[in-house]
Amino acid sequence: MALLEHVDTHRGVETAFGKIIPEKEAYSYCLRTIAAFSANIFQVMRVLNDDWEDRTSQICEIANMMNCAACSGSEEELFDYLNAFYDEWNIPELVKRAAWIGAIWGDYGDEAEDMAGRVIQFTEDRVEKELDSCPWDIVGSEMCNMTTAMFTANFDIAAGGEHGEITNDVALNMCEARGCGNPHCRVVAERRDTFDLEKQDWLDHRGQAYLPVHDTPSERRVKHAQGLRNGQYTNAFGEENSLEWQYNWVAQMGWVWSISFPLIAIRDMADDDDEFERILKIVFATAGKNSFIDPFAREGLRNWLDIPREIGDNDPRVMGAYIQAILGCQLVPYEFEAFDADGVEIRVDQETFTGRFEMAPLDEITLGYEAQWNGACHTLVSPEWSVWIDEDDDDFIINVGRKVDDRAL
Amino acid sequence: MLFKEDEIARAEATAVRENAAWYRWTHDLVKVTGEDAEKFLDWILVNSIAGLSVGRGKYTTMLDENGGIIDDLVVFHKAEGLWWLSTLYGPHAVKWFDAHSQGFNVAYEDITQEIDMYAIQGPNSAKVMDGLIADSVDDLKRFQIIDTTIGGIAAIVDRGGFTGELGYEIYCAREDSAAVAEAIEAAAAKYEAPRLKTLEVYVRSLPMEKGMALRQDYKGLTPYEANLGWSVRMDKDFLGKEALEAAQAEEPKRAFVGIEIERESYEDIAQNEIIRKRGVPVGICRQMIYGYTVDKNIGFGIVDARKVPLGTRVTIGPNDSPAVIVEPKWC
Repeated sequence: MALLEHVDTHRGVETAFGKIIPEKEAYSYCLRTIAAFSANIFQVMRVLNDDWEDRTSQICEIANMMNCAACSGSEEELFDYLNAFYDEWNIPELVKRAAWIGAIWGDYGDEAEDMAGRVIQFTEDRVEKELDSCPWDIVGSEMCNMTTAMFTANFDIAAGGEHGEITNDVALNMCEARGCGNPHCRVVAERRDTFDLEKQDWLDHRGQAYLPVHDTPSERRVKHAQGLRNGQYTNAFGEENSLEWQYNWVAQMGWVWSISFPLIAIRDMADDDDEFERILKIVFATAGKNSFIDPFAREGLRNWLDIPREIGDNDPRVMGAYIQAILGCQLVPYEFEAFDADGVEIRVDQETFTGRFEMAPLDEITLGYEAQWNGACHTLVSPEWSVWIDEDDDDFIINVGRKVDDRAL
Repeated sequence: MLFKEDEIARAEATAVRENAAWYRWTHDLVKVTGEDAEKFLDWILVNSIAGLSVGRGKYTTMLDENGGIIDDLVVFHKAEGLWWLSTLYGPHAVKWFDAHSQGFNVAYEDITQEIDMYAIQGPNSAKVMDGLIADSVDDLKRFQIIDTTIGGIAAIVDRGGFTGELGYEIYCAREDSAAVAEAIEAAAAKYEAPRLKTLEVYVRSLPMEKGMALRQDYKGLTPYEANLGWSVRMDKDFLGKEALEAAQAEEPKRAFVGIEIERESYEDIAQNEIIRKRGVPVGICRQMIYGYTVDKNIGFGIVDARKVPLGTRVTIGPNDSPAVIVEPKWC
C-alpha cells in the first residue's frame, strides 16, 4: 500500500531517535509490560505469604468482590448499568442475555487483552471459551485462579437468582490454564441446575467440565486476537470495537483487574506498609537488573529503539529512551526536560502516571518502576547511572543521572 | 461455533429440516403508533409500507443517509394505527427513529421486555400449530399475523421465522410464557418435535444454509450489493434514496457472497477475518458456521466485486484456510 494512503492512519509510538514503533507492536508491548508488572506484584505476594491456598483464596475473594461492585447499588441502577452494556454491545434478548452476560463480557475483555481464541459453545446451558494465547501467562497459577473468581462475579451480576446475592448459578471451571503450562486456557460455565453440579468455593474452579470439551488443533490456533489480526474486535452480535478503542481500554483496565484488585489483598498480607514497600522495591529492583544481564538484550534494545552508534553503551540516553518507549506504549503522556550525555529528565503528570484508570490510582506504579528502572539501568547502561523519581508540584520527574548511594540495592 | 461432530446440534438442525422443532425467542419488537405512523415507516424503510393491509407483514431494509443497510426487519400492520417491527435489536431502531422522526406525528416503543416469543419451525410445524392454537393456520399466508388463543391464553401468531422452512412465531404476555411453553411442548411432543437449545443452530446454521443473513452481515452494504435489490421501491421517497440512486448508477464495488472452507473446521476464523486472493486482501468474512443439511463449513463474506467472481479460490484468516467463493445460499 502506498504511504500516501496510509500515512494518516498508520500511527505508532515515536522513539527518542525518531523510529516509529507501529501501533500494533506498541499495543502488544503495552500488554506485556502490564503483565510483567503484575508478575512482579505476584512475586511480592509470594514473599509475603507462603501458603498457596491462603493467598490464592484471598485474591480470589477480593477480585470477586470488586467485580461484583457493579451490583452494589439499587436494582434500578443495576438494570441501567446492564441495559447500557446491552446497548453498547448490541446484545439481543434472544440470547437470554441476562443469563450469559458473563461470557459476553469476558469475550470482549479477553480480545482487548490479546488473549486470543474463540467461544467454542454458547448455549442456554453451557458456555465454553478457549484461548490460544495470553500475555498474562507469565504471572502464575494464582492469577489463573483469580480470573475464575472474576468470571464468577460477572455471571452472578446478571444471572444470579436474586439481586445482590452471589448465587453461583453456574459451575465455572478453568479446565486448562496457560499460566499453569497447558497449551490453552479453557473456561467452561455449565448451569448447575441442568447438570446437577455442586456449588463451588474459591479454589474449586480449576476442575474439569461436565461435558466434553473441544480442543482446537495446533494448525488452526491463532497467535493474536482479532484486533491485531484484523484491526477490530467484532462480537457475535456484529458490534465492533476498533484496535484503537481496545488499546485505550486495556491501557486503563489492564492495570485495574491484574494489579489494583489483587493489591488490595496483597497489601494486607504485610505487617505494615513499610514491610510491603521494602519487599516490593527488592522484587522490582531484581526484575530490573535481570532484564539486561544478557549482552544480546542490550543490543536488541538498541536495535528496537534505533539508538545511533554515536551514543555509546555508558550513556544515560539509552536508559532514557527505554523509559520513554515504555511510557509511550503505555499511553502515558510525557515531556522531555533533558536528553543528553549528562542525563535524562522526563516530566509526567502524577495523576496520569499513577492513575492509568482514573478512579483507581496506583502509587505502587511509582514505587515499582523506580526500583525496576534503577535496577535495569545498572545492567543496561552501567552502575554509574541510576534512575530515581522526584516530585515537582503535580508532576513527577523521572531522572536518569549519576548518583552515588552507599546503600544502593 | 458448530462442528460437524456435534450430534446434538445435528439432531436439532435435522428436526427443523425434516420434522419440526420449537424454541424461545426470535427477535426484538418495536411498536409504532400515531397518526403518521404509516407515513413515517414508508419514509424510513425502503420497501413500500403504505397500503399494507391490516394483518399482513413485509420484509424490508432500513438505510442510513449513505444508502448503507443499518437494519433489516419485518413490518407487521397489526391493527389500524398499530404497527409492529421485528428487528434483531430494538433499542438501536428506537435511537434511529429518535433522530429521524421530527415532523411526524408518531410514537414508538421497544416492547421486547413485555412480550415473550416462541418459534415453531419445520415442515410439520403446521400440524403442531393446529394442535396448539384455537384457530387454523391452514390459510395463513407468509407474514400474516392473527390474534388467537392457546388453551384460553391470548396469543398472537404470524407465519414466519428464520430457518427457511414453513414456520410460525407465537407472541404472548411475559406472565403467560411458562404456560404457553408448556402447551407448545405438549403439542410438539405428539410429533416428536424437540425444543432447540443450541442458539447457533437456529440463529446461524439453519438460516445461513438458506441464504438468510443477520443485519450485521449486511452492515454498510447497499441493498443492491446485499442481493436485496428486490425489496427497494424507487418509486417512493425514503431515507437514503438519493445515495442509493447514485450507487445504482455505478457498478457495485462490493459483493455479498458465500464462502466454503475446505478444512475440517473454522476455529481460526472470526467475524471480519480478512479474505485474500493470492495473498492480497480482497474482502472480509462475515460469519462462518457448520451447515448440517449441506454438511459443509459455510459462511458469508463481503468481497471486491470486480476482483472476486464466483468460483474464485481464496484463503481466509491467520492460517490461510483455503476456501472458494460461492452463491450465498446452499439449499
